[in-house]
Amino acid sequence: MNELVKEGFKIIRALWYSEKYGCALCGGYPGPICPNCSEELLHPELSRCLRCGKLIAQERVICTDCSEGRGPKHLKKVIAWGHYTGCLKEFIQDVKFGANPMRMMQISRPLADWAIKELPLVDGILAVPMHSARLAERGFNQAEVIASRIHWELGLPILQGVKRVKATPPQVSLSRQERLLNLKDAFALQGKEPFKGRSVWVIDDVTTTGSTLDAVAEVLYEGGAKEVYGLCLAAGFEKVLVPEFD
Amino acid sequence: MYFYLTLNEDGDVGYTFNKEMDRLSSKAGCLKIPLPLGVIQSVQIQMTKFKNQRCFGLRRNRHERIKSELCRVLNSRDWDVPNVSWEKDFVSLTSEMSASTAGKGDEKGPVFQSFDRLVRGRQLSWEDLKILAHELKCHEETILQFAQINVAEKKAEWIPAVLRQGEDWQCQRCGEKNINEWPSFYGRAGTCLSCKSLGSSTSLKAIYRDYRSLLGNSEKVDFRPHWKLTEAQRLAGEEILDFLKDSSEPKALLWAACGSGKTEVCFPSAAWALEQGKSVLFAAPRQDVINDVAPRLKRDFPGVDIQVLTGSGPIKFQKGRMVLATTHQVLRFWQAFDLIVLDEMDAFPYRGNGALEWGLKHALRSNGKLLYLTATPSPDGLKEVYLRKMRLIRLPARHHRFPLPVPIIERSSQEFDPERNPPSLKRGRFESLRHEGQILVFVPKISWLQPWINRFRQGFPEWEIDGSYSSDRERSVKLENLRQGKFDLFLSTTILERGITLEGIQVVVLGADHPVFDERALVQMAGRVGRTRKNPGGNILFMAHLETTAMKKAIRWIEDQNRLALKKGLID
Repeated sequence: MNELVKEGFKIIRALWYSEKYGCALCGGYPGPICPNCSEELLHPELSRCLRCGKLIAQERVICTDCSEGRGPKHLKKVIAWGHYTGCLKEFIQDVKFGANPMRMMQISRPLADWAIKELPLVDGILAVPMHSARLAERGFNQAEVIASRIHWELGLPILQGVKRVKATPPQVSLSRQERLLNLKDAFALQGKEPFKGRSVWVIDDVTTTGSTLDAVAEVLYEGGAKEVYGLCLAAGFEKVLVPEFD
Repeated sequence: MYFYLTLNEDGDVGYTFNKEMDRLSSKAGCLKIPLPLGVIQSVQIQMTKFKNQRCFGLRRNRHERIKSELCRVLNSRDWDVPNVSWEKDFVSLTSEMSASTAGKGDEKGPVFQSFDRLVRGRQLSWEDLKILAHELKCHEETILQFAQINVAEKKAEWIPAVLRQGEDWQCQRCGEKNINEWPSFYGRAGTCLSCKSLGSSTSLKAIYRDYRSLLGNSEKVDFRPHWKLTEAQRLAGEEILDFLKDSSEPKALLWAACGSGKTEVCFPSAAWALEQGKSVLFAAPRQDVINDVAPRLKRDFPGVDIQVLTGSGPIKFQKGRMVLATTHQVLRFWQAFDLIVLDEMDAFPYRGNGALEWGLKHALRSNGKLLYLTATPSPDGLKEVYLRKMRLIRLPARHHRFPLPVPIIERSSQEFDPERNPPSLKRGRFESLRHEGQILVFVPKISWLQPWINRFRQGFPEWEIDGSYSSDRERSVKLENLRQGKFDLFLSTTILERGITLEGIQVVVLGADHPVFDERALVQMAGRVGRTRKNPGGNILFMAHLETTAMKKAIRWIEDQNRLALKKGLID
């Protein structure tokens, strides 16, 4: 009887109050991303480096590294949703290392809304593939999780046809030079020209130099892709002193 | 952490930790694809069923049929592994056996010995084992090898960290059944979010569970108390010892007055248990309590190894049969203790936390004893006492033989919420309190803290005034200053309601009628006053707009303790 009354109250409460969700990143209000996190982490006012997706000052188009030719070469445009720090970093690490992929659902809406504003509509999306050994270890590919959420929100078809054939050490541990070498021949096409004439968003969780996305893009162009764009959850923030002219 | 599925000549499915290093008793085939333990176990169940249901003719034929059935079972799972076949995906292990014995030399070496000592009675995740590897300064692989030796000798077991039973999941570390399910590479997987603070627990991971009891450094227990038990403590102590010796009762509740020295009362019983070769856990929900008790315990038990385990403690693996740990750390033990003393059972975060309660229950050996200590028992605890499921032991008086100071209610016409035009401060009242000692002011909410600090500073510009709350970064510095008597008046939220002794402190509860203050919180706050022999009295003011049931109940509890103590002749 007691249980019945409790359940009854639950239903009444559910009818009375609409359930309130807090910020997906910090738990504050109002959700899904609170104004504070949006300002501190997502920086909608800043530009993204056209080549590598890094957050850069508003008036700039590409970051210093890319302007000096050290960035990715194959992508048409790369964007990163937020700055890889604080709550966003914790969020991504909790998803990846805390085996909590379902948490990605909480941010899919704002992420997808933002992505479709920033990138042109494409024929399909592709998650950066993970090597089978790493996949076996983690049990899921976080880039695939993001891709499936984007697919859910925007209805863009998920494409397949690229495989990671080389088990590479995590990019995090490497320098810029090593990163580029590390990814040499890491990806391979499956099937013949699976991307012929298609435009694609390549999706990953974090980017620093953009080299992973670039390596995938290279393979996609080999497979006949028309245009390749990059979409990431988070990236670095270039802090350069803008020269002042008097 | 992954395992390799094996199939031996008898057709039994097993698993090995590492294709290269494991010693297998007979010739076996080993699947090259690593799998989580949970998946292997479910395959094992299906294969055992298959073996038991069928009768086989020729031996050779039988093995072939088992092999093909195994491949069928593996391929029928909802996972992303391409079709498994015996020829392509299995390797024979016999050829590698000679190489595997190379590691055997380490087995009984000093590192193994210390590993073996430290993991007794523990249940550890892969992350925990990595920490252990770091503390023992050896390779992670070596630790796994050591763990596997104990598993092979049936002293320990690997179990999936989150176990699926039919449609339900259960975390094997904390017992949580509300598991976050997600689709993984291996099919359905589950992650437990309730013990996340100890590292992630998922169905893809395994935990090492050691079934042996803890070891101490010596059988002889050197117990040298640096204090003399008061009459009240002696009576309660005897009753506890009686409870430990009586095998019929598994649980007891020690209901003590605040500041009556309930922790020390348990020391002689702990010494007795240790002498009997038993292991003892002293657990508390919060770190402060552990840090407070640790030096006292170490002083009174010289020469006895005591493990002190808290979330922020530097060393996670220690030796000894006496363990002092926060309730979260207890989740890393499995049936290890003969006696568990849980201090402040009603405090956050233990109270109402199913995971911690589960952990405590499973850290207890069968026929172990559980002793709860509290000054303010929870309704659930009291209910068990009334139903005679739990023995009640009372400790109603403080060591100095003075009665507990009883709070005085001071009502005002306005509410104390700083946003609602609170009443002005009565200067004379606070000055007379200050005359008797430092003033500790409790407020119900963090948001009340700063406005009230400002009001007090305005009202008493000559006083040293500050305040603190749970996530205050300078909390420990401020508390140290408070201990040294550097403040005239200190404001705090309920963080200081428990376990702290301040010489000559006077307590004021602002807004005692606020709903966050239940009778337990009020009794605890009142319990800060008059704890020392030098200052056995003091004042407690409940300043409130209304007189709530909680306030009345708190006063009644305190008066009850005094009455009981007087009846037993424990106060003068």
